This record gives sequence, C-alpha cells and structure tokens, in this order.
Amino acid sequence: MSVARRVITPQEQIAEVPEKIFLFRSCTGSMEYPGTENAIKEVLKILGVEIVSDPDQSCCAGYILTCSGFTPEPALAVTARNLGMVEQRYGLDTYVFCNGCYAYIRELAHVLHTHPDYMKQANDLISQWGYKYEEKTKILHVQELYYLLLDKIKEKVVRPLTGLRVAAHYGCHYLAQQYNILDEGDLPTFHEEIYEALGATPVFYKHRRMCCGYAVGRGFTHKESVVQPQLSKKFDSAKEDGVELMTTTCPGCNVALDREQPNLNKRGFGPYDIPVIDLGQLIALALGVPLWKLGFNANTTPMDGILTKLGLEKGEIGDE
Amino acid sequence: MGRERDKDWDRDLYKKVDRYGIVENLSECLQCGKCAGNCPVAALNPSYNPRQIVNEILQGRVKRLLDSEEIWRCLWCANCYRVCPVDIHYPFLMMQLRYMALEEGYGLKYVVPINKYAHRALDAGLTFVPGKYGIEKIRKLRTSIGVEPWPEVSDRAKKEFRRIFELTGALAWMENLETLEEKPVTFSFLKGKILSRGEVSK
Amino acid sequence: MNDKAKKALVIGGGPAGLEAAIKIGQAGYNVVLVEKEAVLGGTLRQLYSSFPRWENPEELVDYKLQELEKLPSVKVMTETLVDSAQRKNDMFLVNVKHSDGSTEKIEVDSVVLATGFELFDATLYGEYGYGTYPNVLTSLEFEEKLREWDSGEDNTEPPKTVAFFKCVGSRDPSKGYPYCSKICCMYTAKQAGLVKDFFPDAKCYVFYMDYRAAGREYEEFVRDVIENKHVRYVRGRPAKVIPENGRLLIRAEDTLMGIPIEVTADMIVLAAAIVPSKGTIKLAEIFGANTDSYGFLQYDSKNPGKAGDKVFFAGACGFAVETLGAQYQGAAVAAEVIALFNQENLEAVETPEAQYQGADAATEVNARFRQANVGGK
Repeated sequence: MSVARRVITPQEQIAEVPEKIFLFRSCTGSMEYPGTENAIKEVLKILGVEIVSDPDQSCCAGYILTCSGFTPEPALAVTARNLGMVEQRYGLDTYVFCNGCYAYIRELAHVLHTHPDYMKQANDLISQWGYKYEEKTKILHVQELYYLLLDKIKEKVVRPLTGLRVAAHYGCHYLAQQYNILDEGDLPTFHEEIYEALGATPVFYKHRRMCCGYAVGRGFTHKESVVQPQLSKKFDSAKEDGVELMTTTCPGCNVALDREQPNLNKRGFGPYDIPVIDLGQLIALALGVPLWKLGFNANTTPMDGILTKLGLEKGEIGDE
Repeated sequence: MGRERDKDWDRDLYKKVDRYGIVENLSECLQCGKCAGNCPVAALNPSYNPRQIVNEILQGRVKRLLDSEEIWRCLWCANCYRVCPVDIHYPFLMMQLRYMALEEGYGLKYVVPINKYAHRALDAGLTFVPGKYGIEKIRKLRTSIGVEPWPEVSDRAKKEFRRIFELTGALAWMENLETLEEKPVTFSFLKGKILSRGEVSK
Repeated sequence: MNDKAKKALVIGGGPAGLEAAIKIGQAGYNVVLVEKEAVLGGTLRQLYSSFPRWENPEELVDYKLQELEKLPSVKVMTETLVDSAQRKNDMFLVNVKHSDGSTEKIEVDSVVLATGFELFDATLYGEYGYGTYPNVLTSLEFEEKLREWDSGEDNTEPPKTVAFFKCVGSRDPSKGYPYCSKICCMYTAKQAGLVKDFFPDAKCYVFYMDYRAAGREYEEFVRDVIENKHVRYVRGRPAKVIPENGRLLIRAEDTLMGIPIEVTADMIVLAAAIVPSKGTIKLAEIFGANTDSYGFLQYDSKNPGKAGDKVFFAGACGFAVETLGAQYQGAAVAAEVIALFNQENLEAVETPEAQYQGADAATEVNARFRQANVGGK
C-alpha cells in the first residue's frame, strides 16, 4: 500500500486542456475586486479558453455557514443546485477563482458524496426546479489551469515583469484540502514558478504560509485581538524581505491583506505599503491586457508605485 | 479550581456535538499537538488551544465549553485539519459546537450581526452585499472597467436561494436566534493558566 | 558444498539473513546467501551504535562473518539480485543476476526472505522541509553524521541544538502509515544520548507523542538518556519547520504544558517510518508469498515465520524489529527450514533399502537420528 495520494500534477488534475470552462462567480470577487474577474476572463481568452457563466448561479452559501450563521442543510442544497445546474446545462467542469468558494464547494460536495441521505435530501429539494446533482462536474480552481498552461503563458508574455519582487500568499483554503491538489500545503512553490515564467523575482518571506485571518475572522468582530496581530507579523516579515507586491488566489484574502493595511498603520503597526492583487491580474499585466480593464482602482493599497516601476502609467498598455 | 469529577462529564458529548455526522473520527485524536503548534490563533491567544478543546469534547466536559469565549476564536484557516495525522476536521467540529452554544444563548453577539449579510443574501443571491454607499462604490468601479454595474444574478437564482433557506428551516433557525436571550461568555480556559511569558492568569 | 544435500536460498544478508544462513549451514545443509550490496550486514553496516547496550554493530557483523567463514556449505553471492523463479516439482528454479550482468540458475528446496527495511520518504512531510531545508536529516543519515563526528571527519562547527522528531510517517494515517515503527523511540534515545556524549554543551530535544521502551533493559536505557545525559523530551508532534538565518525554527505545542512553543535548532533528525525494502513485494510475488496492505510479508498466527509453501521470512521485511529480534527470527526460520529438510529426508528414507543409498551426508545424519529415536522409544 502506498500512502494516500495527495499532491498530483496539473495534468492528472485536468486531463486535457479545456476549450470551455464554467467560471463560478465569486461574491467577494465580483463586488470587491471586479478587476480580478475581468483579468481572469482576459487571460483565459488569450490562452484560448472560453468562459461560460450563468446568472442563475447563486452564492455558494459557504462563508456565513462557516460562521455558524445557519445550518448546513441550505448550503448543501445550494451546492447541489449550482453544481447540478452546471452539469445539466453545460456538461463542463466548474472552475472557481476564490479559495473560499473552492473550499466550501469542495467540502460540501464531499459531504454530499459521502452521505447518501444528505444527497437525497438535497436532490429532492432542488428537483422541484428541475435540478439534479450527479457528481459529474469536477471542482477546480483557475490557478490549476494557469499552472497547466504555464508554457503557453510564458510564450505569451509581452511585458516581462523584470525586477519586480513578488511574493505569494497561497491562502489556506485551497491547500488545506490536502488530497488531489497541486502542491504540498507547507512548502508550495507553483505560484513562484508562475512568477518566474512572467519574468518576476519570487520572494520566499518567512511568514508566507500564514493565514490572512479573514475566513471566520471576517465574520466575527475579533479583528483587533485575533486578525490584526497576525497580519502585522505577516507584513513585518514581507517588509523585511523586500517584498514589493503580493498576489493571492482568493478575493477574501485580497480583502484582508489589502484593506487591513491602513487599519494596521493607524494602530501603530508597520507602516505597511505592499499592494495586493490577484494572481490572474499579475498574469494579465505580463500578458499585455489593457490596464483600465484590470480595475486596480479597487485596491485600497495603491498599485501606483508598482505600475510606475514597470513603466506603465494609468492608461498604458494597449489603450483601447 | 479543585478536582473535576467524572459524574460531571457527558460521555456522549462527542456524538452530540457532531449532529450532522461530518466529524465522525474524533476518537482517533492522538493528542499529538500538531494542530495547536500550527494554529495562528493559538500562537497569539494564550487560552485558545484546539487540541485541548478536542480533549474536552472527548472527555465530555461540556460545562466549560458552551459558555466560553475560546470557542469563538477559531477562524477556519484549516491548518489544523491539514496537518492532523488522523484528518480530524476541526473547523467543522467548531461550527457544530457553536450551534450548540448558540441554541443556549451563548455567542449570539458574534453570529446575529453577521446574519445581517445572510438576510441580504436571501434577497440579492450574493453574500456580503454592503450598504447603500458601498453599493454605489461598486457600481462605479464595475462601470469603469467596462462590465455591467452590478453582478448579474437572475431573479430565479434569488428566488430559489431564498426558498431553499425557507424550506430547510434554516431561515426559521436564524430568526429564532434573534429572539433568544443573550448569555455572557467568558474565557473559561484562562483561569489559572500558565501563560507563555511565565505569568499565571488569575 | 555437498551436492546431494538439501539447499536453502536465503535472500538478504542482514542480521536475520545471516543468522538463518549460519544456523541452516551449521545443521549440515547447503545454503546460498544472496545479498544485493557488496558487503554483508544489511542496515547494521549503517549504524554507529546500538541499543540497549551501546555496542558497536560492526563487531556483531564481524562475529557473524567469522561464523560464516567456518561453513563450507554456505555459498555467499554479494551484489546479486533474484530475478525470477519457477517451481519445479518440489524445488525452486531461481534465476539470479550478478552486478556484472551475468546470470545464474540455482535449484533450491526452500527459500528464506530476509530483505529488511527502508525508511519512509520524508519529503512527503513538507512541513519539515526534508530535502529542501539544510540540516534536516533522516535517522539513518544521522548515524553517518555520528560516525563523522567520532572519526573527526566532520570538523565543522558542532551544532548548538539538535532536535529529534519521532513518528515521521508512523502513526499517521493521513500522510503516512497508521502503524508504529517500534524501534524509533529506542534509537532516537540512543542518537540523542550520543549527541550529548560528543557535545556536552549542546541542547538536545526529542519531540514525542509517546516513548515506547518495551523490552529488556529498554526503559533503563531511555531513563538514562533523559536523567543522566539531560536530553529534554517535549511531548508534542512538531507542526512546522521554518528556516531562518541559517537555523531552523521549530513550531510545536508542549502538550503537557498546553503552550505553543518555538525551538530554534541547528539540525533536525527525523525518525522516519520503517517500510519494507523495495524488492520485498516483487520477491513475494515471485515466491507466492502474501504481503499485507503495507507491503510487509504476511504472517499466520500458527506459523509466524511461514510466508508460503516452503517459503519463510525473517527480520524487518516482516515488520519493524530491532537487531536482537531479527537474529531471533533468523534462527527461528532456520529451525523451520531444518525441520522441513529433516522431514523430507525422513520421508525419502522410508524403505530400509534406501537407508544408506547415496553418499548423502544429511540423509546419513537423519538416518542415524531416526534409529536413535526408534531405539529411544
């Protein structure tokens, strides 16, 4: 018996490069950082992957479930409904761009798979509207697609991010799933490989694997005692190692890391000034996507310094 | 504090907490401490210790748990679950433990305010919809990058989302919480604890 | 070698295999001892010291090799692997392959598997950074380090703090194996004790969940390491290692105190789980033996050394075991083989005419044996 399979290659995760994917809308992503969603669409368009969305898709109901705001039954039914809808209408795999959505949907789907009575309960409930979940669609994250298409990304770089010291915030919820994911939860390196493909300089700062605190920490009001001291430790170590930019693969983490910095500065930590963007936005920058589409004006910690360093002023790269 | 007695322990607590049958392997806990060693909250909060809480549940010491502040500190980073050698899903355990506490009136001050966003989600089909000012900001932002001013959520999606909450009884459960009398929570595990700086908390 | 006597094949020249080969040879039967390395001794060759008596394992190996020298009926083939085998009537036709590429066919009457163990691949524990961070070693690699310190070969700055992690891959159904590898608690105490002997000013931490010292002189051994050599045992499985400024930061919880702690070490030794050596599963298939879900040879409670029809096993290929146990098991399966051969010889000598036919030394011995027994009744 070999040990349980945990880390797999992107080729094992995604059998063949998809022509079309279903992109699951992230609530935080589409409201707080619409530029992230846009960047992902543009990047995948350049890489030759078509995106399908559906306005009938609802929120995954995971966030507040984990805050014990309500019981799991509706979340299970909502998961079955959304996934069943993708299966029936499109027959595609479900791609999320938020670690939170990834964890919630994957864990709730796992509960459904392993508890036939919950599956039946959920399916009975959603059948009244014509939905049925049959465990056919695979739950994936766009970061896995980026890594699968790494060679293609490298080819399509028109603006290499030379000299930019970028650090990864992998976040917790993708790697915490442990099994059938792309890298080891404590020593992941695949984001750094993507940075290198884009010409940037990856930085391995000491607290790179520290949680941003914004899962349940965003829900309960323990920011001062629990979340902020944690974030200041993280930013201290990033600052020490000369990190200029941080990327995330989760709009939730992005909100935490980006929008808490002024609060930390006010409390006397730091001062910190490290902009935080989505990995898709970083790739979009290197692939020459027009700047105005990337929505950096949503960022609390401004991207201006980085853009100047890259020689981009607002409005450059392909003024459309 | 004095000696504890086993007659005060509820030996079925580990079953009662797991009301949804999603953390069935709690007895496999080796008390190895990897969870506490990796927990970002435990590193900064002297009385919060996930390994200890699992031990409390297995032993059945329900009294200290339900009215404690500590159980509201887990922020679901799932680092514990990731390193646990027996894959105990501690965050799901905490979620269910919190249900037990809420139904007795403990911790309502943490959950009821966040449910404001849950109620908004039943109308909007999206979670964490901000207030009027926030919505205006979002509309401006989205328009400036060339997408529709508000994420497209169909009426069907909103309706079905709300119906699911009604039909599963979750909406009633949420509304019931709002009627319960709030009971105070304190740091149960801080008393007499040796803090990491060598002080003893009172 | 007596061409008419029964022949056993012993695969593996570690403590179990050596013991089996020697005992079968001393009983007067033929043995072919096949070993994949260039020297005999198995894992003992990699050890600097042993528990519980702090003895030098090389002395044991040398002693056994001397015994082996005295036995012309035992043929040793080093740098040789078993390639395939078929059963032919009551015998095995075994194809072996030597390091120079040449092959050879051997006919044997019984097989003893003593292929020993390997260590679990510690790179699977990303949180400890084995293979990525400097100065994170497995326990076997650390034995080499002990030897280098002793011989003066390693004259780098001695470590100020050495940390030992137990149960890396053991007692871990999530990333490794659920079982306990039995010997690590003992050898970790040994290694930690030796560090204190070499560098009395160094700090030694052993991170444990339990310490298992269930054996003769074992508990005294571990208590000596803790009480007299002042190695600090911390109860808590380490959660994470972070390299910082050339040293290694260890995050764990001191579960007896209930406090998360951070220990800065210069070197970390991982007691990785004991797993069956890679060739074991293939050999089990070749000889029709059963293995359990971990790849260890499966045992039957009534015949613990028996892996199949005329196939026996001894030592760590059956499950993690200390040197003394491996020797005992080797001797036990030697007895099985000898009993088997004696039985077969007795059956062959059923008719009085057959009694002294053939210059078969073993058969003669057995015939006299039988006579003596008949007389004794």
